Amino acid sequence: MFFLEIFQDAFFAALAGIGFASISNPPKQAYKYCALIAGMGHATRFILMNSSLHWGIINASFIAALVIGCLAVLLSSYAKCPPETFSFPSLLPMIPGIYAYHTIEGLVFCLSAQKEELFNHYLYLCASNGFTCSFDILGMVLGVTVPIFIFKKFSFRVTRYYN
Amino acid sequence: MRLETITQYTAQKMTFSNNTPVDVRDAYVFLAEYAAWLLGCGATCIRITKNVTRIAEAWNLKTEITIMPSSVHLSVFDNDTKQSFIYLKRKPRTGISFYKNTRLSELSWAISDAKVSFEEARERFNKIITAPYTNKWLVLVLTSLANMSFCRLFGGDPMAMLIVFVATFAGFRLKQMMLEDGFDDRVVFFVCSFFSAVIGSAGYVFHIGTTPELAVGTSVLYLVPGIPYINSLSDMLDGHYLVSFSRFMGAAMLTFCLSCGLAAGMLLMNLKIF
Repeated sequence: MFFLEIFQDAFFAALAGIGFASISNPPKQAYKYCALIAGMGHATRFILMNSSLHWGIINASFIAALVIGCLAVLLSSYAKCPPETFSFPSLLPMIPGIYAYHTIEGLVFCLSAQKEELFNHYLYLCASNGFTCSFDILGMVLGVTVPIFIFKKFSFRVTRYYN
Repeated sequence: MRLETITQYTAQKMTFSNNTPVDVRDAYVFLAEYAAWLLGCGATCIRITKNVTRIAEAWNLKTEITIMPSSVHLSVFDNDTKQSFIYLKRKPRTGISFYKNTRLSELSWAISDAKVSFEEARERFNKIITAPYTNKWLVLVLTSLANMSFCRLFGGDPMAMLIVFVATFAGFRLKQMMLEDGFDDRVVFFVCSFFSAVIGSAGYVFHIGTTPELAVGTSVLYLVPGIPYINSLSDMLDGHYLVSFSRFMGAAMLTFCLSCGLAAGMLLMNLKIF
């Protein structure tokens, strides 16, 4: 049953990956790699968070983003296009939208709170969700960019044709 | 005197593999345009620098490149005449295109491996920059499907997914039409997120499904300008702080407009989520 859930998660992430890739006009051969990387990345996070490991969202997102980054660099030589092509569509399904909304929600309630305890409570909600959201995004973007820089030599050679 | 030196400079020719002489200045103009187009189609600074350096080395051109948020400067110092030239090229107004990014990077390798002559390179370059975008109807359908899957990933039920699909479809089509008509980006983002949020709130208004809050929240996510954010961090790691900051602020501005549109839509529909 858990496997089915993982599969479903990967499938919808892959669909989202293909769709969001199309916004940025990738070369045609890139679509299938976008789907594969987006699916595997999101499934990694799903496993880390929902299996017996029960990781927090920030760590899980960072590791998933690292997986995405490494896969992007690795597969870019097959796809013959820059690894950056795959990073955004694969990351987008992991955006912590719910945390972002709760941050704004906390802020709005803060502004309209009359009593001090109430204000403190909403400030706490705003800050805790805001921190989670921003560090999650930072971790994701770092995780996906760092492999490109680590394998610098390789990342920028993939568009070369050996013939 | 001055004129003479410039004429002298003009007389310098480069020779390529097929032995046709090329004016060095043409090569620099090509290089500046090449860099500006890479910047325009959403390449990171490290890629622009690497590609330009690669071509310059292949053609034996001595140049320093400075990348600014909206233009590219190539400065050339000529050792014989002791004169320096600046080739400045503004960033062209073109959407993010990884197709162009890929093909332009390929071109730099082809030049570096001496597979193409200068004329051929220029021809290929013109073909790349005029290449059509992905079919807009295909993009429309794929984006709507993608945002729908998004809703599912956040835990939305089938009704919420349907609402998100419709909201994205309508909003994204509006975005395409407004961009074609040449509206300002920020206005487009505000109007489209407002439009999508209003449609996305159908779940609340008509009491459809069990997760209407996810439908509203997800309906505007297709507008998130993710590539500028990622490029911004990549430029920061590479030390191009000015470009990095400019990209970040541009994206943050759009995100702000998007949030305002969402909030306005929710106010209009009198949603009490907050």
